Amino acid sequence: MNRIIKFYHEMGSPPSFYRITSHWLTPLLVLALGLTLYGLIDGLFFAPEDYQQGDSYRIIFVHVPAAWMSMFIYAIVGVAGIMTFVWRMKVAEAVMMASAPIGALFTAVTLLTGMLWGKPMWGTYWDWDARMTSELILLFLYIGVMGIYAAYDEDPRKAARLAALVAIIGLVNLPIIRYSVYWWTSIHQGSSVSLMGGSNGIQDWDMLRPLLVMALATKFYFLYSMLSRAQSYLLKTEQHKQWVSKAIDGQARHKPGVSS
Amino acid sequence: MRFQALVKRDVLVSWRKKSNIYQPLVFQLLIVTMFPLGLGAGAQTLAKIAPAVVWILALLSTLITLENIFKDDFEDGSLGVYVLSGMNLPLAVLSKALAHWLTTGIPVILFAPVTGMLLHLPEQANGILMLSLLIATPIFSLLGTIGSALIMNIKNGGMLLSVLVMPLLAPVLIFGAGAVLETTLGNSAYGHLMLLSGCAVLCLTLAPLAAAAAIKINLE
Repeated sequence: MNRIIKFYHEMGSPPSFYRITSHWLTPLLVLALGLTLYGLIDGLFFAPEDYQQGDSYRIIFVHVPAAWMSMFIYAIVGVAGIMTFVWRMKVAEAVMMASAPIGALFTAVTLLTGMLWGKPMWGTYWDWDARMTSELILLFLYIGVMGIYAAYDEDPRKAARLAALVAIIGLVNLPIIRYSVYWWTSIHQGSSVSLMGGSNGIQDWDMLRPLLVMALATKFYFLYSMLSRAQSYLLKTEQHKQWVSKAIDGQARHKPGVSS
Repeated sequence: MRFQALVKRDVLVSWRKKSNIYQPLVFQLLIVTMFPLGLGAGAQTLAKIAPAVVWILALLSTLITLENIFKDDFEDGSLGVYVLSGMNLPLAVLSKALAHWLTTGIPVILFAPVTGMLLHLPEQANGILMLSLLIATPIFSLLGTIGSALIMNIKNGGMLLSVLVMPLLAPVLIFGAGAVLETTLGNSAYGHLMLLSGCAVLCLTLAPLAAAAAIKINLE
């Protein structure tokens, strides 16, 4: 138990956060790339065809994991926002501002792949169906968090706290937005994966496996990208601190990536 | 006492600077003219989109006024005085929201049947239209305090304010325009109005706290 508490406190301080996470980056990147490669090959070449949608369904191996990530990352932005707001943790600020662009990117990927799939399946790129609309509103929420941060460029700490407030307000509103949009209308196909084995979910393990692999791959990619972004965020905001010059000197003297 | 004094002062300031009050209405009139010009003047086409357009116009015309809720007070320093005087900040926010609603919300509610008439909205929908706006305009003002408090330190923050507030207003628009649409179709608007009221209660309790937090960060 003590080690977990110690680890938690260490992760809260920028220098040790930087030191600890710099060892994780390479393994995370390798895992992310390896799993993506495996998942895509498995999904695009070996998974069976869908009896209704033929080969077009294969876009779900990108679309569904990206959609999961878009919401998962917003939850992270919101929780990091709460930590920023309540405890004013610098690392939480870094995690929040590092996660937001990645989440926005996954949201955009979700929308784009959805549109590409919609053209052959629905006959239109865009339809104002509930999930697409709420995904689009999610993109606006991300843009709001990043926009308010960018607008206060002269004081990053104040900017981070205001962005945290926006993220928290978004977190409170997200369920309201989602439900209101769902009641509004829906023609999107039901969930692709259901833990209880719903009737129109994916039943075939050969189809499910690449999907889950891709879900894992996006998680690792997010961790890698978020941590390296958070590191450069900390280097930038703490540039006048001693640990930063030490860390950078260490990187210059030793091989890149090592800074203990 | 101070709550009343603040509301009175803000209403008076708006009243003296009449543009605050008629700006949204002129905006609505200008935009509503564009619909028949662009869509064709067919009464049936217009009546079909009328519930949504009247509602969106009410929303947009309020949106352009939100930026100023705190801006002047922030720039001339009176906002700092509220904080320093030890006044309950969420309560001060509430007074600003109330003053904004009195000077913008009420004219918008009263003007809605006019834009409705111009777009051939069926007359029996007017009651629900005004009722839905009566519930929703306080939400606009309350969410506006959050948006305005977030951007008051930024030059040309209007665009950012729209980005921040639009996702929060989406459910309000769905329920509000939905209520009017259901009425024109001859259905009951009860469910929509109840959900709208729920949004109003939520905003009334949480928005002043959020706006007060934003003000505190901005004044640090």
